[in-house]
Amino acid sequence: MNLGTRGALTFRLGDYCFAVRVEEAGGILDADRLAQLPGVSNPVAGVAAFRGEMVPVVDLAEYLGIERPVSQGRGYALVLSRGPDRFGLLIPEIPRLVPGRDLREAPPADTDSELGDLFESVLENGQDQFHCLNYWRIFETIIPPAGSSAGKSASMERGT
Amino acid sequence: MAAGRDFREDDARPGQSSPPPAVLITFLAAICAGIAGSLASGIMAWIGIGAVAMGGAYFASRSARPRNVSSDLGRARRLLLLVERGGGAETKVPPEFTEDWAQVYEKVNRLAFDARTGPPPGNQLEQFRKQVALAASFLTDGKDPLVEAPELRAGPLLPLLEGVKGSSSLPVVSQLSLGEEEELIGAGGDALPPDWPKPSGEGSGRAPDAAFESGLRDLVREIESLRTTLAGGPNGEGKPASEDAALRTPAQLVDAVVLTAADGIEDLAAGLMRANELASVAERVTNRATLLALNAALEATRSGSEAFAAIAEETRRLAEFAREATDTISRLSSEIEYKVGETITAIHATSEDAKTSLAEMSGSAAPVPSSARSARVQVVRLLDRSRELLQSFGSSDALDPADPDTRAREAITIRPSGEARNSVQDNVQNDPAPADKSPVEGILLIEGLKPGAHLDS
Repeated sequence: MNLGTRGALTFRLGDYCFAVRVEEAGGILDADRLAQLPGVSNPVAGVAAFRGEMVPVVDLAEYLGIERPVSQGRGYALVLSRGPDRFGLLIPEIPRLVPGRDLREAPPADTDSELGDLFESVLENGQDQFHCLNYWRIFETIIPPAGSSAGKSASMERGT
Repeated sequence: MAAGRDFREDDARPGQSSPPPAVLITFLAAICAGIAGSLASGIMAWIGIGAVAMGGAYFASRSARPRNVSSDLGRARRLLLLVERGGGAETKVPPEFTEDWAQVYEKVNRLAFDARTGPPPGNQLEQFRKQVALAASFLTDGKDPLVEAPELRAGPLLPLLEGVKGSSSLPVVSQLSLGEEEELIGAGGDALPPDWPKPSGEGSGRAPDAAFESGLRDLVREIESLRTTLAGGPNGEGKPASEDAALRTPAQLVDAVVLTAADGIEDLAAGLMRANELASVAERVTNRATLLALNAALEATRSGSEAFAAIAEETRRLAEFAREATDTISRLSSEIEYKVGETITAIHATSEDAKTSLAEMSGSAAPVPSSARSARVQVVRLLDRSRELLQSFGSSDALDPADPDTRAREAITIRPSGEARNSVQDNVQNDPAPADKSPVEGILLIEGLKPGAHLDS
C-alpha cells in the first residue's frame, strides 16, 4: 500500500507511540540547547536554534497530558517544517526512522476519536502502531498565527 | 644490620654471663675495709674506710657493665657482623659457625626477638614450623626439598637445605676452596679483589654433615630459648606486646593497615571518577554522532538520493560503533566502581572483625590468652620436631613424615564474604533510574537513548 510517504520518524511518549512523516520533518536537535522564554504558556518549552533560525519548541507530552518518564537530559527536539515555518516537538528520546516500505495504515482506535481534528492516521510497523497527529494544528492552538482570529483574540486578552 | 639491636638487648640480659668482676672488687674492698677498721678504731677511720668501700663498689659497678658482651648471643652477633663484612683469614670463626649457619642463627634470633616484642608470633612460628615439617618430609622420601618445594628457597631453612644438598652432591660455591673459586670466575689469583670474601671453615675443612648437625643443634637451642620466652621466663620478658608503650597495639596495627588500604582505594576511586568524566564526554560525542546519522538518514529519505543514503548509512554505522564502545566503557566503569565499593566494605568488615577478636583476647579473664597457649604448644611441637630431626640425623635413621593432623591444619578456610551481585550492569540497566543515583549510574541512564540509535534505513 502506498502511504504517500517515504518513511516516518517514530517515538514513544509514555504509553503511546507517535509518528511524524519524513516529509514534515526538518531535523533533530539536542534539547539541551533549548532556551526557555518568560511569560509563555506551559506547553511551550522554549526556543532553539536550528540551522540559523529560531524555532519554538512545544512540549507534546505536556500538551496531551501524558506523564513523561524521568530522564537525565531534557530530551530532543524534532523539528517540523512547512514551507518557511518551523517548530519543534520536545520528545524524550531519539526518534527511530522507519522506511515507508515497512509501514502500513491501520484502523484508528476508539480513543483516537477523542482527539478530534488533531488525529490524522495510524501507521503500523509489525506489532507496533504509531499515531500520526496533525502537529501543525496543535502548534497553532498553542501559538496562533499572527493574522488569525485566534491570534487577535489572544492579543486582546493580553491587552496588546 | 637490623638484628644488631636485638643482640644488644640480649647482651644486657643478666644471669647468662660469667660472674661480673664488680662483685669481686666489692668483696675485696670490703675485706680491706674490715682489716683497716680493725687497725684503726676511731670513728673518723671508720667513716673513711666506709667511703673507700663505697667508692670501690661504685667504681666496680661502672667498670663491670660492658663486660656482659661475652654471652653467647654477643659472640653470635660479632660473628654475624664479621660474616656480613666478608670475613677474612684473621677472623676467629668458631668451628660450629659457618656463613650459612650464621644466617640461620640470625633468623632464629630475629624470630625470638619478634616473639618477645612484637604481636603474637603464631604466624611466623607456624610458617617456620610448616617449612621444617615440609623439608623433613621431603628429606625422608629422599627428595630434594629445594626442588620439590620452591617456597623453601625463600625461607630461613635455605642455607640448611643447601648444606644438606651439598653433602650429597657438589659443594656450593661458598664452600669451595679459593682455587676453585678462581676457576669459576675464570681469573687468576691476582685478579681477585682484596676484599673478596673468604670461605668460612676453609671449604673442605669440615664435613657438611658435621655442619648440618651443628646447625640443627643451634636451632634446637634457640627454639628452646624461644619457648622459655613465650612461657614467661625468669626474666619476665613474656609480657604481651600491648603492655609496651613504645610498641603499637594490635588494634593500632589493624587500623594502620586499614588506613593504608583505604588510601590506596581512595586514589583508585579518584582515578575512576576521572575515567567516568571522560566516559560522559564520550557519551555526549556519541549522542551527537547519532543525531548526525539520523539527520543524514532523514535528508536522504526525503531527497531519495542513493548517494546520500549511502553516506547516511556509513554515518549510522559509525554512530553505532561509537555507541557500543561508549556502552562498554560505561559498563566497565560501573563494574569497577562496584567492586571498589565492595572491597572497601570488605576491608571495613575485616577490620571490625579483627578489632572484635583483639578486644575479646585482651578482655579475657584467663591469665594466659588462648592464642598465647596455642603459640606455646606450637613452639613445643616445633622443638620436638627439631629434636627428632637431630636424633634422626645422629642415628642416620629415616625421618618421620609430617604429622597428618598438621597437614590438615594447613588447609585454609575461606569465609564467604556474603551475597554479592555478579554484575552492576544487570542491576543498573534494567532498573528504572532514580534521580539520586551516582554519576556513573547516571551515565547508564542514557541507555534509554539506545533504541533510537538503531536506524532501519
